[in-house]
Amino acid sequence: MELTARLGRGRRLLAHFDWYALLLTVSIAGLGVWNLMSASRTSHSNIWMSQLLWLGVGLACILALVFWDYRNLMSLSYPVYVAVLLLLVGVLVKGKTVLGARRWLDFGPIRLQPSELAKLGVILVLARYFHDRLPPKGGYRLRDLLIPFALILLPAAMVMKQPDLGTALIIAAVGFTVCVFGRIRPLLLIALALLGLSVTAVAWTHFLKGYQKKRVETFMNPEGDALGAGYHANQSMIAVGSGQLTGKGFGQGTQTQLSFLPEQHTDFIFSVWAEEHGFVMCVALILLYLGLILWCLSVAARARERFGTFCAVGVAGLFAWHVFINIGMVSGLLPVVGVTLPLMSYGGSSLLTVLLGVGLLINIDMRRTGF
Amino acid sequence: MADLLRQGKTSGREFVRSLVLFGVLCSAAFLLLIGRLYHLQVTLGHDYYEKSLNNFVKELKIPADRGLLLDRHGEVLADSRPSYDLYLTPYFCSKVCDEVVTRLSNDLSLGDEEQQHIRQKLRDSHGLSRFKPFLVKVDIGRDLVDVFAAHRTELDGLDLLPAPHRNYKRGTFAGHTLGYLSEVSESELSLLQEEGLDYHEGDYVGRRGIERAFESQLRGKDGAERVVVDAKGRMLGKTDLNAELIPEGERVRLPRPGNNLVLTLDAHLQQVAEQSFPGRAGAVVALDPRTGFVLVLMSKPEIDPNLLTGRVSKAELSAMAVDPLQPEIFRPLQQQYHPGSTFKVITALAALEKGTLTDRSHTFCNGGYRFANRTWRCWKPEGHGEVDLHKAIVHSCDTFFYWTAEHLGLDPLADMARALGLGKPTGLGIGSEVPGVIPDEAYHNRLTPGGYHPGNALNAAIGQGDVNVTPLQMAVLYAAIGNGGTVYRPQIVRRIDDPEGKTLKLFEPEVRGKLPVKAENLKRVVDGLKGVVNEPGGTAFLRRLPNIEVAGKTGTAQVIAMGAQRVKTEDLDYWHGDHAWFAAFAPADNPEIAVVVLNEHAGHGGVASEPTAMAVIQAYFEDKKAREAPAAPPPADPSKSSAPEAAPPPPADANPGPIPALKPKMGRLGRTVAGDRWS
Repeated sequence: MELTARLGRGRRLLAHFDWYALLLTVSIAGLGVWNLMSASRTSHSNIWMSQLLWLGVGLACILALVFWDYRNLMSLSYPVYVAVLLLLVGVLVKGKTVLGARRWLDFGPIRLQPSELAKLGVILVLARYFHDRLPPKGGYRLRDLLIPFALILLPAAMVMKQPDLGTALIIAAVGFTVCVFGRIRPLLLIALALLGLSVTAVAWTHFLKGYQKKRVETFMNPEGDALGAGYHANQSMIAVGSGQLTGKGFGQGTQTQLSFLPEQHTDFIFSVWAEEHGFVMCVALILLYLGLILWCLSVAARARERFGTFCAVGVAGLFAWHVFINIGMVSGLLPVVGVTLPLMSYGGSSLLTVLLGVGLLINIDMRRTGF
Repeated sequence: MADLLRQGKTSGREFVRSLVLFGVLCSAAFLLLIGRLYHLQVTLGHDYYEKSLNNFVKELKIPADRGLLLDRHGEVLADSRPSYDLYLTPYFCSKVCDEVVTRLSNDLSLGDEEQQHIRQKLRDSHGLSRFKPFLVKVDIGRDLVDVFAAHRTELDGLDLLPAPHRNYKRGTFAGHTLGYLSEVSESELSLLQEEGLDYHEGDYVGRRGIERAFESQLRGKDGAERVVVDAKGRMLGKTDLNAELIPEGERVRLPRPGNNLVLTLDAHLQQVAEQSFPGRAGAVVALDPRTGFVLVLMSKPEIDPNLLTGRVSKAELSAMAVDPLQPEIFRPLQQQYHPGSTFKVITALAALEKGTLTDRSHTFCNGGYRFANRTWRCWKPEGHGEVDLHKAIVHSCDTFFYWTAEHLGLDPLADMARALGLGKPTGLGIGSEVPGVIPDEAYHNRLTPGGYHPGNALNAAIGQGDVNVTPLQMAVLYAAIGNGGTVYRPQIVRRIDDPEGKTLKLFEPEVRGKLPVKAENLKRVVDGLKGVVNEPGGTAFLRRLPNIEVAGKTGTAQVIAMGAQRVKTEDLDYWHGDHAWFAAFAPADNPEIAVVVLNEHAGHGGVASEPTAMAVIQAYFEDKKAREAPAAPPPADPSKSSAPEAAPPPPADANPGPIPALKPKMGRLGRTVAGDRWS
């Protein structure tokens, strides 16, 4: 009896399973793997296969987790958050250094980038916080926001220390997006925006590392130093622009195939796509992302309680910021910061994080008609 | 309320407006991205496409050969010889760099300093610069190339790149005249590039002599090979990408060699001059009096252009810099000397033209000349007795010219000297020339304490005092006297040919002036010059040539004031020795060659300089004979025609008594001129 009841519930759940979202996610990820096949031709290491493996693991996680009510996560939010913080501390203490930054933790064969998980951790903990505290009339006051700010800035600062400016920015951006969404008093919002600007200015003069500043300066004038710091920005713009309307064809991108772009399989993966497939397919890809984000927002609208809504908004923000900053950077609209393109960039932790986020939203959506 | 929400209906509803706003903002942001991509890919797409093409196609330089330098008979004096430069790419030797450097140092016997330099370069390379090869050693010898080729696998990161090196085939031969090359400096590079010239880092430019003066002709146009490379500049070899990305016709652009220069220089005569020159320092110049074309242009101590072209070590350079003989000075045109008695022809010409001197003029030489309350000494203490112009030239009597100058004054002398091309650069055009000094009254009024004094004219009349000339100027002057009064601009390049052998430019003789001298006056002087060599008792009689009538003049230019004491030249310290001059042309009538020899601090011109001049003249006529009779055996071995053997034995009837040539010519009042060599 117990079994039939569970099976019945399972059927009902599956009836609400959002295949559309899953299809959207898998198609972007599929394009990503295909794109990596092209990008990995020169390095002779088949990174696309490893990406495919992670995709499989991620999808399995989604399917496994949908049967587990996400509301259990509500009570687990703080423990998860604390666990993520501990991982970040672990990175700072004994992380693996790659390209001058400590970002990875070794778990036997698997290398994990806790800063990716930190993004989800922050979304969960903020959702829980705003779930518990309804805004007073007129919106949240400063004192209501001190705790969420601390919850955001603590992991952001630790990631910044690795140093990983890109991820730290994303954590902060996503966190503040969730806060703003929760309704802040207008005057406070303006004050906070101004504060944010001045903090940026101070950070510029005091805390940014040489190479980080250089990247921003370069952004202002990429041609100025074509072989130095401007190299990434310049080569990336050449790659994107040379794709023209319809692209050079799969495996035909000279910028890609002749490795003019360092990090072309991670942060600059979009340039590979743009060079080989052109403007039309770039627009198509952007529309796929927009579709995914709008789906996230619809999940937020349908969610049966605040926790779900804030989670969905957080994940939507995660996608939106990642896509905007990454493509903006690759196309020379923004300075170079290490931000991945979700589902396209190579990297297990990043892919898993995004898939877990999508899985969480599918889970939320399945349980919108309370039972 | 919170509880209600948590349990109850969908909470999202209250957020709809915010969610829609979120969606709209997000769409707007993405629209911005699409706009940006449109700008890059569609509006500017074509430009970026072009850029991406240049990005992966790398041009490898194929250095052009520099133009040849040939002598007047077509002998190659300088060419480009295939050679290799050694480069090291830090990235590719990565872990074994240290061993590679050690090994290289042994094979190339590099000094500590050079080794340190290489290791420092390795340490300093980071990031992309690790892929940039840097120069370890230029011009690797053929044997070492083989060694490196055999051990290639043990010498990671090592590259031998072909680079034609300038090869001066006869070594130090005509070193100053030909010049040499060296790497272009950073500041020069920016200047050259500002002028729109195609020079790049590491290129060689002509430094001196002809190499410098004709740099633009000699320099070729480098070619290029276009290959597909990745971002690190690594060639991908002959992959299908090469064929696919670079059209067949655009893969190689062949270099164009520079133009060849056919010089007026005669390699054999130059060699004779260099081998027969007995001194430590000096100059030999030979011209064709009919054209002004330079046959010989020698400066001693010589420089080695092969050594200076990029292969000179710091130690060698600094040794050269402190050499008291100053080998870097191109003596025929960059050093001025008192002309001594070789100047007397000018005094004679000036006085003849002025009318203060005639055939009938004569004076008595008792070993000195009394003027302005002092005695101006003749070189021959016992005196020459009764002297007229002819005898004065033949015996080089100072007294006669003191007497001439007293009646002539300084200014007419200076005018004649200037008309013969003294006091200003000759216009040879290869290297800066010193103008020399021809003093006149205004000059002395300006510069001499107490102003002009007639004594100045007496000093100038015998080529002392403030008179300063270059050997090249004297050669032009004697050529003009020999050819009947035409002053030519000396030239050293006859033709510019393109690499295929087509003549681009032929340099014609260039007349700079005609002497304002009556033919009979010129003849009087030339007769005197003939006598110097051909009459017994003439200062150059002892070393005259059989069969060739040479006209010439010895000179012994005093370097320091001797005061009252007469000292034998042989006893003097080298630096105090007189400069020995000999200026001549042959045949005496209608001369084909004019030669000036200057031997620094070597004593008397008839002894220290004349043999060299005679050897050159003799070689000239022997060569001429050999060329005119093609069936005859090839020209004699150069060593055979060198001075000692070429000099004829003294004639039997020669006066065996005191040989004038061996007697130092002292006894003039000289202004102190010891510093002249350094001025």
